[in-house]
Amino acid sequence: MERQNGEPLVRMVNIHKWFGRVYALRGVDFEVYRGETVGLIGDNGAGKSTLIKILSGYHQADQGEIYFEGQKVRISSPRDARKLGIETVYQEQALAPNLSIARNIFMGREPVRRWGIIDRKVMNEESMKALANLGLRLRSPDLPVVTLSGGERQGVAIARALHFKAKLVILDEPTVALSVKEVEEVLEFVRQLQREGISVIFITHNLYHAYDIAERFVVMARGKKMADVKKKDTSPEELSQLVIKSAFAE
Amino acid sequence: MNDGRMSLGRKLLLSRSSSVLIVLVVLVLGFAILSPEHRFVDPDNLKVLLSLGSEFSIIALGVGLLMVCGEFDLSVGSILVFCSFVFLRLFEAQVPLFFVALTTILVGAALGIINGLITVRAQIPSFVTTLGTMMMWRGLALLFSGGEQKGCDVSTVPSRYFLPFFTGRIGGVFPAQAFWFIVFAVFLGILLHYHRFGNWIYATGDNRDAARAMGINTDLVKTVCFMIVGVLCGFVACAQIARTACFTSRAGEGWELKAVAASVVGGTSLRGGVGSMVGIFIGALTISVIENGLVVMRIPYFWTYVVFGLVILFSVLSSMYIEKKQREAHR
Repeated sequence: MERQNGEPLVRMVNIHKWFGRVYALRGVDFEVYRGETVGLIGDNGAGKSTLIKILSGYHQADQGEIYFEGQKVRISSPRDARKLGIETVYQEQALAPNLSIARNIFMGREPVRRWGIIDRKVMNEESMKALANLGLRLRSPDLPVVTLSGGERQGVAIARALHFKAKLVILDEPTVALSVKEVEEVLEFVRQLQREGISVIFITHNLYHAYDIAERFVVMARGKKMADVKKKDTSPEELSQLVIKSAFAE
Repeated sequence: MNDGRMSLGRKLLLSRSSSVLIVLVVLVLGFAILSPEHRFVDPDNLKVLLSLGSEFSIIALGVGLLMVCGEFDLSVGSILVFCSFVFLRLFEAQVPLFFVALTTILVGAALGIINGLITVRAQIPSFVTTLGTMMMWRGLALLFSGGEQKGCDVSTVPSRYFLPFFTGRIGGVFPAQAFWFIVFAVFLGILLHYHRFGNWIYATGDNRDAARAMGINTDLVKTVCFMIVGVLCGFVACAQIARTACFTSRAGEGWELKAVAASVVGGTSLRGGVGSMVGIFIGALTISVIENGLVVMRIPYFWTYVVFGLVILFSVLSSMYIEKKQREAHR
């Protein structure tokens, strides 16, 4: 599968970011092709989260450009990102635990009737449909999210992205704090995204969680991109060596 | 309970509001039976309860709504007294009553917005912001009024609508204040539970980061909730002066914590994201019933706080228990 010939879905060019005196991103180039799954790996503090938060509108780059489907774009808020079709599933932060599944899926984009009154019937039906598309069967769209398992919660967050026709889904440490069984569940959701032709960025510091599903790996350390390799050209051993080496190299 | 759909009876029993309702019913029955000559249920007392109690309860509705979005307002009593002072001054300046009332309510809205803007812009916990504005607005009201009580008899001005609007009796019996309490509760209940803005309030209180990531302007949501509280304070300032025909710089003293208590008794979480308008409504009513009931029972006023304390602790403990049962039922 050679994708590099086509136009990337997203291309980030020479991205710099300062947080006060901390130089968090030092000129990073990063791209994702259509339907491609990229594993973004690196130690804590490597700049992975900062990079994707710029892409999802949570932070703005101090320097650098972003192209989406070939067009130069400015992403200055999460709303901008979602308009482009970029959905982010943050680690442990994506959902409101006391709200129902349906209210979470439609959070901020509630289907309404006249005067802004929520159309519950549509919201509940669409929620169940979105979950079923992901292969997730939950008893009722009215259940509060807090009653779900960790894997099911990630499923709800991913179903939300799927429902709103995302072109790119960013998963920020989706397998952190999950049991082995739940990790497998989440990976299955990601495979469903792949089958739908959606591009995925999978951020993790557990290389082995990403290895099965990603086609390409980008290794970051200390605000720089250290490596960008296709899975067929590497092995888990080589990748983990890369992560360790680049974390200590200077 | 494996099908996720519980029977209505069980649902009611397991809802947070039910424990509050039980407390309220027990209190009402207790006061009715134990008060001398059953004076608690005397029509005259009920009218007093419904008109006085509703003034506080209207404000408590707003405070509860604000708590659902994760913020506090300790300045309600002070916004109330400041609004009353604005009312007094405008009334003395012989401004037409309609504009007096309108301005009073707008000033309330403005003070609420100030609370909101300071809280969200400077990212100060609203507990602290409103502690500051609580002292400031009451301080200014005291300063300008000299701390005195001043007559403000609205009935001296010919107006066909003002007094009936705020203090009338519907059908000659039902106090207007109680009518407004119900109207505000229904309106805010629809807003919170059926309107998209209500979903934003819950999301903001439950997980602000998630709400923001989903494109909800959480700063705006919070500021609007603060404004709603301010509007209710302004409204009650008008109603109170209409009823008492005087301005007192002690108006609304102690209401801030009573309003928080009403919300907590009604099942609202101090951490935000949890609460219902039915619960807040019943909670506010419970606080009013306790205050009135103890007076009717001729129990020294100081006992009021002891009873408040017991009721708050009981409600919190029982709602925690219900929550636990609820989760078990879902599993």
